[in-house]
Amino acid sequence: MALPGVRPATGWLFVAPFCAVFAVFTLWPLGYNAWLALHDYFLQTGHTQWNGFANFVMLTWPEREFGPALKNSLIFLVLVPMLQIAGLGLALLLHRPFPAVGLIRALCYVPVIIAMSIAAVVWRQAFAADGLVNSFLATLGLVSPQDPPLWFSRENLALYPVILFAFWKNLGFYMVLYLAGLQSVPREQHEAAILDGANRLERLRHVTLPALQPVILLCTLLATIYALKAMQEPLYLTRGSAHTTTALLYVWNAAFYGHQFGYAAAAGLIITVICLLLAVFQFRLLGDQGRLRHGGEA
Amino acid sequence: MNQRHSLRPVTWLMVGGRHAGIALFTVFALFPFVWAASVALSTDTSYMWVFPQAFIPHKPGLGWLIRVFHEIELLVYLRNSLLIASLTTLGVLLLAVPCGYALALIDFPGRQALFGLIILTMMLPTETMIIPNFLTCIHLGLLDTWTGTIVPNIASALGAFMMRQAFTDLPRETLDAARVDGASEWQVLWRIALPLALPMAGALATLTFVAAWNDYLWPQVILNSQDKVPLAVGIFHDLTGEFSTSTSLLMAAITVSVIPVLAGFALTQRYFLSSTLVGRQAI
Repeated sequence: MALPGVRPATGWLFVAPFCAVFAVFTLWPLGYNAWLALHDYFLQTGHTQWNGFANFVMLTWPEREFGPALKNSLIFLVLVPMLQIAGLGLALLLHRPFPAVGLIRALCYVPVIIAMSIAAVVWRQAFAADGLVNSFLATLGLVSPQDPPLWFSRENLALYPVILFAFWKNLGFYMVLYLAGLQSVPREQHEAAILDGANRLERLRHVTLPALQPVILLCTLLATIYALKAMQEPLYLTRGSAHTTTALLYVWNAAFYGHQFGYAAAAGLIITVICLLLAVFQFRLLGDQGRLRHGGEA
Repeated sequence: MNQRHSLRPVTWLMVGGRHAGIALFTVFALFPFVWAASVALSTDTSYMWVFPQAFIPHKPGLGWLIRVFHEIELLVYLRNSLLIASLTTLGVLLLAVPCGYALALIDFPGRQALFGLIILTMMLPTETMIIPNFLTCIHLGLLDTWTGTIVPNIASALGAFMMRQAFTDLPRETLDAARVDGASEWQVLWRIALPLALPMAGALATLTFVAAWNDYLWPQVILNSQDKVPLAVGIFHDLTGEFSTSTSLLMAAITVSVIPVLAGFALTQRYFLSSTLVGRQAI
């Protein structure tokens, strides 16, 4: 629809400043990263050298340990159901008004707005050998005070406090999304179900959950993308040691500690492609033409 | 009457369960901060590792909090964070407002393609862009500058998206009336459209400010000088480096650095907890 008296040139002028910065710092990096993935980069001189697919071949070498990093990223996906169940549970608890409900919602959101690097410092203390968590578990009789578990240095254990930290950091965000979803559940359906003699559990199962389906799907996709992109949590908590390296943290380490920019770019490209595929999927389901905008039909 | 009577224990159980659940989640969300504050306020550290005594200050005093200001460059970090976060927010608004306006209300060739690109980049891991952006900043001579810290973040795809949504929702008649009166698009944008879209601009500003305030990765890559880094970087390095041996000082530093964030959140929390904002931030 062309508006009278509004020239297309004006449109270009308005988007030009954004586009200039966007092109240099968002689009160019995406393209350059893909190009770099096929090259060797020499940091000292800034020269690049085409190497075919050598970076990708190197990623498959077992001693390079890209596989375990990718596996850790996949283990991180346990975060997805954890966040859905607890996020929805918390939203159900805080949905109906009671005194100070607003304050409690805000308090549950506090972890989301605190800098992750600063919050992680407390978690490192809490999970130290003589830390608060072991003291708590000893009180419950779950661990022995003489031989407490060293959470961050045991290789088959270290990833789980990291995932718990990610859970703690994001729970409030999903709570708010589910609270928004609960507001859109039609009241009449609940009232009709009450008249039919349905108890709370039946109403949750047959009224609330079906109505929440779009929100559940959105949250699941968001959490999936988030979990696959996780890197700051292990970086702050363990510096990626003790087998907590995720795929994206692997990219980071290869670039800034290994100084292998081309190799890092190749690993980064793989993660970008995975996110791209998930994004396409997300568009199909949630976009303007997506299924959910049309009542889940067609 | 009789039936209601028999329901009572069940109802009480549910109310109790609900409150227990709420309490449990709240404790889970807050225990690190309560612990940090409690340790920071204890002059006697003997209980700081013992559950549950660690959550109550033991022989309370302000000694550790005062030492924080003497031993950590907290005020320098705070100033840096304020500057970086404010300028980033200003930059995001200056670019996103006209861009969102044009995307929503002006028909020009390439509009759909640009909008598609913007949405697409919102879902890709920005962390992988750090390597090319680092190289770009070396070429532009922006290493260890605030310009290099701020400029790569101001073309916010989320910002353009949010402002487009806000402008799309405006009543067309009001805007067209101004146009008929001879206002240029630039005047329509700043005098009429933006004042109407102010809640969304405020939400965008709040979100951007918090994200910039909390950012660690990019400032850590681009800034070398200790006196230029923001709080999230400076505190983390101090606390995992030279101060990691004194847990009391560490907890005091955490407590002090979290207080301004909590104060800011208390003032702006309606933006964060409003469903429309989070829904849009999510997409």
